[in-house]
Order: sequence, then structure tokens, then C-alpha cells
Amino acid sequence: MSAFLAACGNQGTTPTASSAAGSGGSSTPLGPGGIPLARRTNPVTLPLYDDNAAIADGLSAETGGTLNIYNWADYLYPSLAKQFGKKYGVDVKISTFNSMDEAIAKLQTGAVEYDVFFPTTDRLPQLVAAKLLQPLNMSYIPNLQANVWPEFVSPFYDKPGDGETTARYTVPYTIYSTGISWRNDHVTLDVPSLGWDAFWQAGDYKGKVAVLDDSREALSLALMKNGIFDLNTEKQEDIDKALASLKELSSLTNVKTSISDYQTIPEGRTWLHESWSGDIIAGALYYMPKGVKNTVIDYWFPEDGKGPIGNDTIAVMKSAKKPVLAHMFLDYMLDSKNAISNFVDWNGYQPPVNDSDPDKLVADGIIPEHLASTIVKRDSFDGGLEEGQLTPQGQAMWENAWSDFKAGV
Amino acid sequence: MYPRWLWPSFALPGVVWLLVLFVVPFYAIIAVAFGTVDPVFFQIPVPYWNPLDWNTAWMSEVIGDFAPGQKYWIVGVRTIEYVAVAIALCIAIGYPVAYYISRHAGRTKALLLVLLILPFWISYLMRMLAWINLLAEDGYATRFLSFFQIDTLFVKLGLLDQGAGWLDGQPISVVLALVYGYIPFFILPLFAALDRIDRSHIEAARDLGASPLRAFLHVTLPLSKAGILAGTVLIALPMFGDYYTPDLISASPNTNMIGNQIDLYIRQGPQKTIGAALTLVLAAFLTVLMLYYLFATHRASREAQST
Repeated sequence: MSAFLAACGNQGTTPTASSAAGSGGSSTPLGPGGIPLARRTNPVTLPLYDDNAAIADGLSAETGGTLNIYNWADYLYPSLAKQFGKKYGVDVKISTFNSMDEAIAKLQTGAVEYDVFFPTTDRLPQLVAAKLLQPLNMSYIPNLQANVWPEFVSPFYDKPGDGETTARYTVPYTIYSTGISWRNDHVTLDVPSLGWDAFWQAGDYKGKVAVLDDSREALSLALMKNGIFDLNTEKQEDIDKALASLKELSSLTNVKTSISDYQTIPEGRTWLHESWSGDIIAGALYYMPKGVKNTVIDYWFPEDGKGPIGNDTIAVMKSAKKPVLAHMFLDYMLDSKNAISNFVDWNGYQPPVNDSDPDKLVADGIIPEHLASTIVKRDSFDGGLEEGQLTPQGQAMWENAWSDFKAGV
Repeated sequence: MYPRWLWPSFALPGVVWLLVLFVVPFYAIIAVAFGTVDPVFFQIPVPYWNPLDWNTAWMSEVIGDFAPGQKYWIVGVRTIEYVAVAIALCIAIGYPVAYYISRHAGRTKALLLVLLILPFWISYLMRMLAWINLLAEDGYATRFLSFFQIDTLFVKLGLLDQGAGWLDGQPISVVLALVYGYIPFFILPLFAALDRIDRSHIEAARDLGASPLRAFLHVTLPLSKAGILAGTVLIALPMFGDYYTPDLISASPNTNMIGNQIDLYIRQGPQKTIGAALTLVLAAFLTVLMLYYLFATHRASREAQST
């Protein structure tokens, strides 16, 4: 494997021929680093560079010192990290960030050195082009092929190159959908039949309505309300429509922007919230105040599957001080038992591993039956919508609209 | 005798501090605002250090959005409103407190001053987070306010939306939180100014037949003007840059202040050049306010010397 990677890299520092093209050809718009924008319909192979090779086979793990992990806040079960450290005789230190922009900005300065990082899929081209990630040597990560859904062994955002069988830079971490959560003891709207329009019918719940504090998610909600399901649109008229709808929502409901739904929905501080599925599981399992049953929380995702769906990944930093151990950590997180423990004992976000059977999760009572809609199934990805990487111009367009919305009315 | 450089050298640590931690970083913000972005990702700021290279595109884009009706105009006007009302409330609440402590507290003066500083033992963020619980639907403060029907009074006065909770994106909550957070900074310099007033001035006014009100209006108030100004400046500057108070107390875009827009670009979003340009616009605005303050205090001290 590593020999193959090295051979690939010998062709020069520019992306290798097999990788740069992607399957969409040259007509597709290019993202950062000249890498084509990955879509489910247009998988992209991330380039390899000869000055950024994967580690060799058969190395033994580094010992002593600290394994540095850089992750979203509250997104990894600390006791799992601790056990890993115990097993290999290292300290595991988890540093956290609150947004991908914040994380990448810090990584780009080179002032911080981490071994393991948790990138979102839409930022991979940027990270790869900047050579912040190192290609993985999957011989250290047998759990990928043994335990993980095949879609994520060779995912569209990190497609194996010609003759390769696995992703080059990432292994999957969690999967989630974006839907609507609400308190059925306060909200009398028929959310499932209203769908995304429910927010615009929520004038009676002024101050209790929130959208995700995330430019892509909130604008996507408004796009879908307007019947626009290309969530990677870079048409100014589409974005203008979405912005107008969000501003209308501001006037109608004094809408909030928040990513604390896993606390505010259980506590009843918000009643209708655009939510990530995993936050609602975590909220229902761990954040209910005394005396409040989690049956008051409902979650809706379109029955036809036409809603945003995505996944996060784990990668190894190029600057990793303990690259072998970092690979082993990735393998450790893909161990079925660990992956499921991380899911049900801590963060509420599902891992795409074979043993985490959605129906079994409900049958075993791990996920409350009325929240079965939070579960992401393998076929959910077929009709699901994606929020992928935009061109830099497109990204600026989205962000300007977002800033406009955040200025209020 | 001492060598001539001895006393000036005492200023050295302060000068170094100012240079390293203010002048250089501030110039970096200018260089970013008038710089460009990298050619690969179109978002990593590339500062232009040489003023001759400066690129004014970002700045003119930002200034354009300050035109009436544009997004920064809306936020800017709202910010000025919130800060102005908060300062007015700080004066209305803070002046009597400072006056009482300096003139009538007697032996409890020291104790009252300590009590005034007490909130600083807990960080600003913690105190704001505490308010979130106190003002929640079933929080103690909410129950207290509704027991005394203060919330219905606020609704009648049009300060609170009908049926809305205090945390439901209400401007009044944000303004009151600002007052709560910053008022001690206002009272302390004002107290110092009031405490310095020579009582014989006031006695003289009374001896010459001035009523207590006239003595206050013509002696105490003018003499404490410098304290009011100092306190106002001290709280106005951080209030104009505040973003976490509206974030925590409201989280609604409709109560966002200009600091939230800067936070959006600098901390959250990738377009740091725009954030830097916004920062400079805010700094320029605050400089104008500061110049007025310097001018006013200069005039006040000249008047004080001439009398």
C-alpha cells in the first residue's frame, strides 16, 4: 500500500494524473487547490503529493509523551480516549474548537501541532491542498474494511484512486441528518405535514424558535422552504430568495441562532429548532431536566429522505509527532464496541459501522422509539441532500447573505 | 543627583507593553484590512504592510454597507441605541450610588466600595450565564419579576413583547444586561471624582444662599463632570465591542450589535479581511468619541485652573 502511494507521488509535486481529474472531468467548477468539487454524483479522488507520503508499513507505535487530538467540543467520549492512552502508554490530550473555520485558521498558522483531527468533508480539498493532512496507510486501520459501511470505505469526497480500494486521507466518524426538533407539549403545529415551512408558521412561538447558527444549514433550510433542493447552489437569485425568507422569519418569530439545541430543547428554552439528529439523541438521553420525560421531544426528517445528510471524518495531521499511534487511534475509533460506546454513552452521533444496526438500536431501547426518525440508515444517503464544498466565490456569496441575516431586521 | 534618563526610563515597561501588545497588533489589523487574500483559497488574509501597496477594496465594500438601509447601518444604529440607553441608565442608577457613598456613607464607605467591587470576583461570562438561569421561564428572577408584576408593567410600557420571556430575543434584556455588567466601572471613577470635591465649595454655595438643589446643580454636578465623562468612556468603549452579552441573553439576529458582526467574520467566518475592515471602522468611530472626551476634560481642567 505505502509503496503504491510512494510510486504515485513520484510523478511530481503537482496532483497526480489519476487523481486531479476526478470523474467529472474539467467542466466541473474547481474548489480550493484546483481540486474538483466533490458531490455524491461526482466523486473526487484527493491528490497525493510526493513531499507528503504515507508512513511505511509495519512500524511500531511511538511510546511515551502525548497524543494530541483536535476535535469539536464534547464530540468524543473522554473515557475512550483515556483507555486508548492506557493501552499504549501515552497521555491523550483533547483540544477543542467550535467551528471548522476556527480550527483551520489555527492549523494553517502551523503554530499548533496535533496528531489527529476531525475535519468535515466539505473542507477536505482545502486541507489536502494545503498539505495539512497526511495520506493514511490503511494497513494500520484494518477496522475500516472490516467494520465500516462500504459507502464510507470509498466515499465520494475521498474516492480511492485507480487500483486502490480505500479512501486516501480519511476514515468516517459520525453520520447525521439535519431536521426539525420540537417540543410537542408546547407546539401544536403539524410539523410533519408542514415540513420546512413549519418555521414560517410559528408566529405564535415568538422567541422560542431557532435555526442552526451555521451559515450553510440555516440558508439551506430557507432554500428548501423555497423548493430549492440544490444546497450547493451558487446562483445569486437562489441565495437572495433564501435570505429574504430568513429575514421574514426574523420578523415573524424573532428567530434565534443557536447550536445548543441539545440543551435548550430539553430545558424548554426553545420549542422549535432546526437540529442535527445527533444533538437530539444526546439531548433526549442526557439533558432532560428532572421530571420531564423525553417523549415531549419530536424530531422530523423528510419521509422521502429529501433533507440534508452528512458525515464527519477523522484524519491524521501531516505534522503529527506520533503518526503511527495516530493511525492506531483511528483504528481504535472504528472498533465496533468503541464506536458504539462513543455514540450511546457520550455524543449521540451514530458511527457508520455494521454492528450499529438502526433497528436494533430502537429494539434494544438505546434510542427512544419516538425518536427513531433521528436514525440515519444506509439508504438515507441515496436520496439525501448534501452540503458540499463551494467555490471560493460561492462561499463568499453564502457568507455575505449570512452576515446580512445576522444583522437582523 | 539622579541621571537624567532615570525618570523617563520608568515609562519603559509601559511603552514596551503598548508597542508590543497594542501598536503592532493594531497595525497588523490595518495591514489585513488593506491587504488581500491568498490566491488558492481566497480567504486566508495576506497583509500588506507597506501603506503604498494598500488595497482599499474591502474597506470600500464595508463602508458601502454602512449606507442607510444596508446591513451595517441597521446594526450600527441599533448598537448606538443600545449603548446610549445603557449609558443613560448607568448615569441614572450610578450617580446616586456614587453620590451616596462619597458623601453620606460615613464609616460604611469602605465596606460599600468593597461590595461594589465584589461582582468582579466572578468573571463577566459566569455572571451572564447565571442570568440565563435566573431569567429562564421558571427562574428565580423571572418569578420575582412576575410576582411584583414588573413584567406586565414592561409589557404595558411596550418594552417587552406580549407573552415573551426575558430571554426570547428582547432588546430590553440585552440593554439591562449591559447595564448590569458594566455599571461598577461607571460608579468607581465617578465616586473618585465626587470624593475629591472640596466640601468647602459646597458650604460656600450654601452660605451664599443657594438652595441644596442649586448648590448641587451649580457646584457638585459641574465638578463631577470629569468623573461622569471618565465613567462613560470607560463603559462605552467595551460596550461598543461587546458581542457575548447579546449572544448569551438573546441570540436573536434582531438584537445583534456591531461586535457580533466582527465576531462573525473574525472568529467564526473565514473572511477575516472584512472583519478587520469592520474593526477599523468601529475604531475610527470610537476615536471620534475619545477626541471629544479628551477635548472636554482638557477644557474642564483649564476652567478648574482659572477659577
